[in-house]
Amino acid sequence: MSRPVSSWVAETLAILLKEWRGELRTRYALNTVALFAVTTLVVVSINLGPLGVSRAALPVLPVVLWLILLFAASAGLPRSFVHEEEIHTAAALRLAATPSALYCGKMLYNLSLIYLLELLVAPLYLMLLELAVAEPVTFVAALAAGGFGLAAGSTLIAAMVAQARIKATLFAVLAFPVLLPLLVFAVQLTLGAVAGDPKNGLVELLILYDGTLLVAGLMLFPVIWNP
Amino acid sequence: MDPTLPQTSLAFDRLTRGYGRLMVVREASGAVAAGQVLLITGTNGSGKSTLLRCLAGLMAPQAGTIACTVAGRRLDVAARRRAIGYVAPDLGLYPELTCIENLTFFGRLRGLPPARGAALLDRLGLPPKRLAGALSSGMLQRLRWAWALLHRPPILLLDEPLQNLDAPGRRDVLELFEQHLERGLAVVASPDSLELPRVASRLELGR
Repeated sequence: MSRPVSSWVAETLAILLKEWRGELRTRYALNTVALFAVTTLVVVSINLGPLGVSRAALPVLPVVLWLILLFAASAGLPRSFVHEEEIHTAAALRLAATPSALYCGKMLYNLSLIYLLELLVAPLYLMLLELAVAEPVTFVAALAAGGFGLAAGSTLIAAMVAQARIKATLFAVLAFPVLLPLLVFAVQLTLGAVAGDPKNGLVELLILYDGTLLVAGLMLFPVIWNP
Repeated sequence: MDPTLPQTSLAFDRLTRGYGRLMVVREASGAVAAGQVLLITGTNGSGKSTLLRCLAGLMAPQAGTIACTVAGRRLDVAARRRAIGYVAPDLGLYPELTCIENLTFFGRLRGLPPARGAALLDRLGLPPKRLAGALSSGMLQRLRWAWALLHRPPILLLDEPLQNLDAPGRRDVLELFEQHLERGLAVVASPDSLELPRVASRLELGR
Protein backbone atom coordinates (compact mmCIF):
# COMPACT_ATOMS: atom_id res chain seq x y z
CA MET A 1 0.00 0.00 0.00
CA SER A 2 1.70 3.24 -1.10
CA ARG A 3 1.36 6.33 1.06
CA PRO A 4 1.40 9.99 0.02
CA VAL A 5 4.74 11.80 0.34
CA SER A 6 3.30 14.25 2.89
CA SER A 7 2.32 11.46 5.30
CA TRP A 8 5.74 9.81 4.80
CA VAL A 9 7.42 13.11 5.74
CA ALA A 10 5.06 13.51 8.72
CA GLU A 11 5.97 9.96 9.85
CA THR A 12 9.70 10.68 9.53
CA LEU A 13 9.39 13.91 11.52
CA ALA A 14 7.25 12.19 14.18
CA ILE A 15 10.01 9.60 14.69
CA LEU A 16 12.71 12.29 14.84
CA LEU A 17 10.65 14.27 17.37
CA LYS A 18 9.97 11.17 19.47
CA GLU A 19 13.67 10.26 19.54
CA TRP A 20 14.67 13.72 20.75
CA ARG A 21 11.85 13.91 23.30
CA GLY A 22 12.96 10.59 24.79
CA GLU A 23 16.64 11.55 24.62
CA LEU A 24 16.14 14.88 26.36
CA ARG A 25 14.35 13.06 29.19
CA THR A 26 16.90 10.28 29.64
CA ARG A 27 20.05 11.99 28.22
CA TYR A 28 21.59 8.55 27.69
CA ALA A 29 23.14 9.01 24.24
CA LEU A 30 24.04 12.68 24.81
CA ASN A 31 25.90 11.91 28.02
CA THR A 32 27.62 8.78 26.69
CA VAL A 33 28.77 10.36 23.44
CA ALA A 34 29.87 13.71 24.96
CA LEU A 35 31.66 12.11 27.91
CA PHE A 36 33.52 9.66 25.71
CA ALA A 37 34.53 12.32 23.17
CA VAL A 38 35.72 14.91 25.68
CA THR A 39 37.63 12.40 27.82
CA THR A 40 39.42 10.93 24.81
CA LEU A 41 40.20 14.36 23.42
CA VAL A 42 41.74 15.52 26.70
CA VAL A 43 43.85 12.35 26.95
CA VAL A 44 45.05 12.82 23.36
CA SER A 45 45.83 16.51 23.88
CA ILE A 46 47.84 15.77 27.02
CA ASN A 47 49.93 13.11 25.31
CA LEU A 48 50.24 14.35 21.74
CA GLY A 49 49.28 18.02 21.69
CA PRO A 50 50.50 21.29 23.17
CA LEU A 51 49.53 20.21 26.68
CA GLY A 52 52.05 17.40 26.41
CA VAL A 53 55.71 17.23 25.54
CA SER A 54 55.68 16.15 21.90
CA ARG A 55 54.63 18.19 18.85
CA ALA A 56 56.07 15.63 16.45
CA ALA A 57 52.74 13.87 16.08
CA LEU A 58 50.91 16.77 14.39
CA PRO A 59 50.28 14.98 11.06
CA VAL A 60 48.55 12.19 12.97
CA LEU A 61 46.09 14.50 14.72
CA PRO A 62 43.35 14.55 12.00
CA VAL A 63 43.33 10.74 12.19
CA VAL A 64 42.80 11.01 15.94
CA LEU A 65 39.84 13.38 15.40
CA TRP A 66 38.03 10.82 13.26
CA LEU A 67 38.85 7.96 15.62
CA ILE A 68 37.34 9.96 18.47
CA LEU A 69 34.22 10.71 16.39
CA LEU A 70 33.94 7.05 15.28
CA PHE A 71 34.22 5.58 18.78
CA ALA A 72 31.95 8.23 20.33
CA ALA A 73 29.38 7.49 17.62
CA SER A 74 29.77 3.72 18.22
CA ALA A 75 29.06 4.29 21.90
CA GLY A 76 25.82 6.21 21.34
CA LEU A 77 24.28 5.61 17.92
CA PRO A 78 23.44 1.88 18.12
CA ARG A 79 21.08 2.75 20.97
CA SER A 80 18.52 4.12 18.51
CA PHE A 81 17.44 0.56 17.66
CA VAL A 82 18.86 -1.40 20.60
CA HIS A 83 16.65 0.62 22.95
CA GLU A 84 13.54 -0.34 20.95
CA GLU A 85 14.33 -4.03 21.43
CA GLU A 86 15.22 -3.61 25.11
CA ILE A 87 11.93 -1.93 26.02
CA HIS A 88 9.93 -4.15 23.62
CA THR A 89 8.60 -1.27 21.51
CA ALA A 90 9.97 -2.75 18.27
CA ALA A 91 6.75 -4.73 17.67
CA ALA A 92 4.59 -1.60 18.04
CA LEU A 93 6.88 0.25 15.63
CA ARG A 94 6.85 -2.62 13.13
CA LEU A 95 3.05 -2.55 13.13
CA ALA A 96 2.65 1.23 12.88
CA ALA A 97 5.59 2.73 10.98
CA THR A 98 6.57 2.65 7.31
CA PRO A 99 10.08 1.08 7.32
CA SER A 100 11.67 3.72 5.05
CA ALA A 101 10.22 6.56 7.19
CA LEU A 102 11.48 4.81 10.32
CA TYR A 103 14.98 4.48 8.86
CA CYS A 104 15.03 8.13 7.79
CA GLY A 105 13.65 9.36 11.14
CA LYS A 106 16.26 7.37 13.09
CA MET A 107 18.99 8.40 10.65
CA LEU A 108 18.08 12.10 11.02
CA TYR A 109 18.17 11.72 14.81
CA ASN A 110 21.62 10.07 14.64
CA LEU A 111 22.76 12.75 12.18
CA SER A 112 21.67 15.56 14.52
CA LEU A 113 23.43 13.78 17.39
CA ILE A 114 26.67 13.49 15.35
CA TYR A 115 26.51 17.12 14.25
CA LEU A 116 26.04 18.16 17.89
CA LEU A 117 29.01 15.98 18.80
CA GLU A 118 31.09 17.59 16.06
CA LEU A 119 30.04 21.07 17.23
CA LEU A 120 31.37 20.14 20.66
CA VAL A 121 34.47 18.21 19.63
CA ALA A 122 35.83 20.20 16.66
CA PRO A 123 36.36 23.56 18.46
CA LEU A 124 37.76 21.74 21.52
CA TYR A 125 40.05 19.71 19.28
CA LEU A 126 41.40 22.79 17.49
CA MET A 127 41.78 24.68 20.76
CA LEU A 128 43.42 21.94 22.87
CA LEU A 129 45.80 20.87 20.11
CA GLU A 130 46.42 24.44 18.91
CA LEU A 131 45.86 23.23 15.40
CA ALA A 132 45.60 25.82 12.61
CA VAL A 133 43.28 24.86 9.74
CA ALA A 134 44.49 26.25 6.42
CA GLU A 135 41.19 25.60 4.64
CA PRO A 136 38.29 25.94 7.10
CA VAL A 137 35.57 25.42 4.45
CA THR A 138 37.07 22.07 3.45
CA PHE A 139 37.43 21.16 7.13
CA VAL A 140 33.72 21.86 7.71
CA ALA A 141 32.81 19.96 4.52
CA ALA A 142 34.80 16.94 5.78
CA LEU A 143 32.97 17.03 9.11
CA ALA A 144 29.55 17.46 7.47
CA ALA A 145 29.96 14.76 4.83
CA GLY A 146 31.84 12.38 7.15
CA GLY A 147 29.19 12.87 9.85
CA PHE A 148 26.41 12.11 7.37
CA GLY A 149 28.07 8.85 6.34
CA LEU A 150 28.65 7.87 9.97
CA ALA A 151 24.96 8.47 10.74
CA ALA A 152 23.62 6.65 7.66
CA GLY A 153 25.94 3.65 8.13
CA SER A 154 25.54 3.42 11.91
CA THR A 155 21.73 3.55 11.67
CA LEU A 156 21.64 0.62 9.28
CA ILE A 157 24.14 -1.42 11.30
CA ALA A 158 22.29 -0.61 14.54
CA ALA A 159 19.11 -2.06 13.01
CA MET A 160 21.06 -5.22 12.10
CA VAL A 161 22.59 -5.77 15.55
CA ALA A 162 19.57 -4.75 17.65
CA GLN A 163 18.14 -8.26 17.72
CA ALA A 164 21.49 -10.00 18.36
CA ARG A 165 22.80 -11.01 21.78
CA ILE A 166 26.34 -9.65 21.37
CA LYS A 167 25.34 -6.23 20.12
CA ALA A 168 28.55 -4.25 20.79
CA THR A 169 30.86 -6.87 19.24
CA LEU A 170 28.63 -7.32 16.23
CA PHE A 171 28.38 -3.56 15.74
CA ALA A 172 32.19 -3.28 15.62
CA VAL A 173 32.49 -6.22 13.21
CA LEU A 174 29.81 -4.94 10.82
CA ALA A 175 30.88 -1.29 11.06
CA PHE A 176 34.44 -2.05 10.00
CA PRO A 177 33.84 -2.80 6.29
CA VAL A 178 30.97 -0.30 5.94
CA LEU A 179 32.62 2.68 7.60
CA LEU A 180 36.28 2.03 6.67
CA PRO A 181 36.15 3.68 3.18
CA LEU A 182 34.21 6.62 4.65
CA LEU A 183 36.82 7.15 7.36
CA VAL A 184 39.71 6.90 4.89
CA PHE A 185 38.13 9.62 2.70
CA ALA A 186 37.21 11.80 5.69
CA VAL A 187 40.70 11.55 7.23
CA GLN A 188 42.40 12.39 3.91
CA LEU A 189 40.10 15.37 3.39
CA THR A 190 40.69 16.63 6.95
CA LEU A 191 44.46 16.21 6.54
CA GLY A 192 44.29 18.20 3.31
CA ALA A 193 42.18 20.92 4.97
CA VAL A 194 44.67 21.24 7.86
CA ALA A 195 47.71 21.25 5.56
CA GLY A 196 46.05 23.56 3.01
CA ASP A 197 46.40 20.98 0.25
CA PRO A 198 43.17 19.00 -0.15
CA LYS A 199 43.20 16.38 -2.89
CA ASN A 200 40.84 17.02 -5.81
CA GLY A 201 37.60 15.09 -5.86
CA LEU A 202 37.67 13.91 -2.23
CA VAL A 203 34.59 15.93 -1.22
CA GLU A 204 32.69 14.53 -4.19
CA LEU A 205 33.87 11.00 -3.34
CA LEU A 206 32.72 11.41 0.25
CA ILE A 207 29.31 12.72 -0.85
CA LEU A 208 29.00 9.84 -3.31
CA TYR A 209 29.76 7.33 -0.54
CA ASP A 210 27.19 9.07 1.69
CA GLY A 211 24.59 8.76 -1.08
CA THR A 212 25.45 5.09 -1.54
CA LEU A 213 25.04 4.42 2.19
CA LEU A 214 21.70 6.27 2.27
CA VAL A 215 20.29 4.43 -0.75
CA ALA A 216 21.61 1.09 0.56
CA GLY A 217 19.98 1.86 3.92
CA LEU A 218 16.62 2.70 2.35
CA MET A 219 16.72 -0.47 0.24
CA LEU A 220 18.02 -2.88 2.88
CA PHE A 221 16.26 -1.58 5.97
CA PRO A 222 12.78 -3.05 5.25
CA VAL A 223 14.40 -6.47 4.77
CA ILE A 224 16.44 -6.19 7.98
CA TRP A 225 13.64 -4.69 10.06
CA ASN A 226 10.76 -6.97 9.16
CA PRO A 227 10.77 -10.76 9.48
CA MET B 1 -22.20 -13.37 7.71
CA ASP B 2 -24.04 -10.10 8.43
CA PRO B 3 -24.37 -8.23 5.06
CA THR B 4 -24.34 -4.85 6.86
CA LEU B 5 -20.81 -5.49 8.19
CA PRO B 6 -17.69 -4.62 6.14
CA GLN B 7 -16.08 -7.34 4.01
CA THR B 8 -13.27 -8.19 6.39
CA SER B 9 -11.73 -11.60 6.92
CA LEU B 10 -8.58 -13.25 8.14
CA ALA B 11 -7.91 -16.83 7.13
CA PHE B 12 -4.86 -19.00 7.64
CA ASP B 13 -4.23 -22.41 6.21
CA ARG B 14 -1.79 -25.12 7.38
CA LEU B 15 0.36 -22.52 9.16
CA THR B 16 3.61 -23.95 10.54
CA ARG B 17 6.25 -22.24 12.62
CA GLY B 18 9.04 -23.44 14.89
CA TYR B 19 12.18 -22.29 16.67
CA GLY B 20 15.16 -24.25 15.40
CA ARG B 21 14.25 -27.92 15.59
CA LEU B 22 11.29 -27.30 17.89
CA MET B 23 8.05 -27.12 15.92
CA VAL B 24 5.60 -24.99 17.90
CA VAL B 25 2.72 -24.44 15.48
CA ARG B 26 1.92 -27.36 13.17
CA GLU B 27 -0.42 -26.91 10.22
CA ALA B 28 -2.89 -24.69 12.05
CA SER B 29 -5.90 -23.55 10.02
CA GLY B 30 -8.73 -21.19 10.84
CA ALA B 31 -10.73 -18.21 9.66
CA VAL B 32 -12.64 -15.29 11.11
CA ALA B 33 -14.95 -12.70 9.55
CA ALA B 34 -16.20 -9.23 10.53
CA GLY B 35 -18.03 -9.09 13.87
CA GLN B 36 -16.73 -12.52 14.96
CA VAL B 37 -14.20 -13.89 17.42
CA LEU B 38 -11.96 -16.89 16.73
CA LEU B 39 -10.71 -18.27 20.03
CA ILE B 40 -7.36 -20.05 20.10
CA THR B 41 -6.87 -22.37 23.03
CA GLY B 42 -4.15 -24.74 24.14
CA THR B 43 -1.76 -25.46 26.97
CA ASN B 44 1.32 -23.37 27.78
CA GLY B 45 3.84 -23.66 24.96
CA SER B 46 1.27 -24.90 22.47
CA GLY B 47 2.05 -21.99 20.13
CA LYS B 48 -0.83 -19.55 20.72
CA SER B 49 1.40 -16.45 20.93
CA THR B 50 3.55 -17.67 18.04
CA LEU B 51 0.47 -18.11 15.86
CA LEU B 52 -0.75 -14.60 16.75
CA ARG B 53 2.69 -13.13 15.97
CA CYS B 54 2.61 -14.86 12.57
CA LEU B 55 -0.87 -13.47 11.89
CA ALA B 56 0.31 -9.99 12.90
CA GLY B 57 3.21 -10.17 10.45
CA LEU B 58 5.76 -9.97 13.27
CA MET B 59 7.05 -13.44 12.48
CA ALA B 60 7.22 -15.24 9.16
CA PRO B 61 5.57 -18.68 9.04
CA GLN B 62 7.76 -21.51 7.73
CA ALA B 63 4.85 -22.99 5.80
CA GLY B 64 1.21 -22.24 5.11
CA THR B 65 -0.68 -19.19 3.91
CA ILE B 66 -2.38 -16.18 5.48
CA ALA B 67 -5.10 -14.36 3.55
CA CYS B 68 -6.27 -11.02 4.88
CA THR B 69 -9.10 -9.07 3.25
CA VAL B 70 -10.22 -5.64 4.41
CA ALA B 71 -13.13 -3.80 2.72
CA GLY B 72 -13.02 -6.41 -0.03
CA ARG B 73 -9.34 -5.80 -0.81
CA ARG B 74 -6.65 -8.42 -0.29
CA LEU B 75 -3.76 -7.04 1.80
CA ASP B 76 -0.10 -7.96 1.47
CA VAL B 77 1.95 -8.53 4.64
CA ALA B 78 3.09 -4.88 4.92
CA ALA B 79 -0.47 -3.58 4.64
CA ARG B 80 -1.69 -6.28 7.05
CA ARG B 81 0.82 -5.13 9.68
CA ARG B 82 -0.49 -1.57 9.51
CA ALA B 83 -4.14 -2.64 9.44
CA ILE B 84 -4.29 -4.87 12.49
CA GLY B 85 -4.59 -4.00 16.16
CA TYR B 86 -2.53 -6.13 18.56
CA VAL B 87 -2.67 -6.55 22.32
CA ALA B 88 0.04 -8.77 23.81
CA PRO B 89 2.05 -9.01 27.04
CA ASP B 90 5.33 -8.43 25.19
CA LEU B 91 4.09 -5.26 23.46
CA GLY B 92 5.97 -2.36 25.00
CA LEU B 93 5.22 1.36 24.90
CA TYR B 94 7.74 4.13 25.54
CA PRO B 95 8.31 4.46 29.31
CA GLU B 96 9.95 7.87 28.91
CA LEU B 97 6.84 9.28 27.18
CA THR B 98 3.49 10.06 28.79
CA CYS B 99 0.34 8.10 27.88
CA ILE B 100 -0.88 10.87 25.56
CA GLU B 101 2.56 11.33 24.01
CA ASN B 102 2.69 7.60 23.25
CA LEU B 103 -0.70 7.65 21.54
CA THR B 104 -0.01 10.94 19.74
CA PHE B 105 3.26 9.54 18.39
CA PHE B 106 1.65 6.36 17.05
CA GLY B 107 -1.32 8.43 15.80
CA ARG B 108 1.08 10.63 13.81
CA LEU B 109 2.65 7.52 12.28
CA ARG B 110 -0.82 6.51 11.12
CA GLY B 111 -1.92 10.02 10.12
CA LEU B 112 -4.62 10.25 12.81
CA PRO B 113 -5.93 13.36 14.59
CA PRO B 114 -4.43 13.83 18.12
CA ALA B 115 -7.91 14.08 19.68
CA ARG B 116 -8.53 10.39 19.12
CA GLY B 117 -5.84 9.33 21.58
CA ALA B 118 -7.13 11.72 24.24
CA ALA B 119 -10.68 10.36 23.84
CA LEU B 120 -9.46 6.75 24.22
CA LEU B 121 -7.43 7.56 27.34
CA ASP B 122 -10.48 9.25 28.86
CA ARG B 123 -12.66 6.27 27.96
CA LEU B 124 -10.23 3.81 29.57
CA GLY B 125 -9.62 5.96 32.66
CA LEU B 126 -5.92 6.60 32.02
CA PRO B 127 -4.09 9.75 33.19
CA PRO B 128 -2.87 11.40 29.94
CA LYS B 129 0.15 13.12 31.43
CA ARG B 130 1.56 10.22 33.44
CA LEU B 131 4.72 8.60 32.08
CA ALA B 132 4.03 5.13 30.69
CA GLY B 133 6.97 3.89 32.77
CA ALA B 134 5.14 4.99 35.92
CA LEU B 135 1.93 3.06 35.16
CA SER B 136 0.87 -0.01 37.12
CA SER B 137 0.72 -3.29 35.16
CA GLY B 138 -3.08 -3.02 34.91
CA MET B 139 -2.94 0.55 33.64
CA LEU B 140 -0.24 -0.43 31.16
CA GLN B 141 -2.58 -3.14 29.86
CA ARG B 142 -5.30 -0.49 29.38
CA LEU B 143 -2.77 1.63 27.48
CA ARG B 144 -2.01 -1.37 25.24
CA TRP B 145 -5.74 -1.59 24.46
CA ALA B 146 -5.85 2.14 23.68
CA TRP B 147 -2.83 1.70 21.41
CA ALA B 148 -4.42 -1.28 19.63
CA LEU B 149 -7.76 0.43 18.99
CA LEU B 150 -6.32 3.88 18.18
CA HIS B 151 -6.59 3.46 14.41
CA ARG B 152 -9.95 1.62 14.59
CA PRO B 153 -8.45 -1.55 13.11
CA PRO B 154 -10.56 -3.93 11.03
CA ILE B 155 -8.76 -6.91 12.62
CA LEU B 156 -7.72 -7.30 16.25
CA LEU B 157 -5.31 -9.92 17.60
CA LEU B 158 -5.49 -10.51 21.35
CA ASP B 159 -2.87 -12.40 23.33
CA GLU B 160 -3.88 -12.63 27.00
CA PRO B 161 -5.80 -9.36 26.60
CA LEU B 162 -7.29 -9.19 30.09
CA GLN B 163 -4.17 -9.94 32.11
CA ASN B 164 -3.51 -7.67 35.11
CA LEU B 165 -6.85 -5.88 34.64
CA ASP B 166 -9.02 -5.36 37.72
CA ALA B 167 -12.84 -5.65 37.57
CA PRO B 168 -13.47 -2.02 36.44
CA GLY B 169 -10.62 -2.35 33.94
CA ARG B 170 -12.14 -5.51 32.45
CA ARG B 171 -15.55 -3.84 32.27
CA ASP B 172 -14.20 -0.71 30.51
CA VAL B 173 -12.12 -2.74 28.07
CA LEU B 174 -14.90 -5.22 27.24
CA GLU B 175 -17.43 -2.41 26.68
CA LEU B 176 -15.07 -0.75 24.24
CA PHE B 177 -14.32 -4.12 22.64
CA GLU B 178 -18.03 -4.86 22.08
CA GLN B 179 -18.53 -1.47 20.43
CA HIS B 180 -15.75 -2.25 17.98
CA LEU B 181 -17.15 -5.74 17.38
CA GLU B 182 -20.50 -4.21 16.44
CA ARG B 183 -18.91 -2.00 13.80
CA GLY B 184 -17.37 -5.10 12.20
CA LEU B 185 -14.12 -5.95 13.95
CA ALA B 186 -12.71 -9.43 13.24
CA VAL B 187 -10.92 -10.88 16.28
CA VAL B 188 -8.46 -13.71 16.91
CA ALA B 189 -7.92 -14.15 20.65
CA SER B 190 -5.97 -16.45 22.96
CA PRO B 191 -6.88 -18.07 26.30
CA ASP B 192 -7.64 -15.59 29.02
CA SER B 193 -10.29 -14.20 26.69
CA LEU B 194 -12.75 -17.00 27.44
CA GLU B 195 -15.23 -14.39 28.60
CA LEU B 196 -15.19 -12.58 25.24
CA PRO B 197 -18.53 -12.25 23.42
CA ARG B 198 -19.42 -13.46 19.89
CA VAL B 199 -17.05 -16.40 19.82
CA ALA B 200 -17.85 -17.93 16.42
CA SER B 201 -15.26 -20.69 16.39
CA ARG B 202 -12.44 -22.24 18.41
CA LEU B 203 -9.09 -23.66 17.45
CA GLU B 204 -7.20 -25.84 19.89
CA LEU B 205 -3.47 -25.97 19.36
CA GLY B 206 -1.03 -28.67 20.43
CA ARG B 207 -3.34 -31.62 19.97
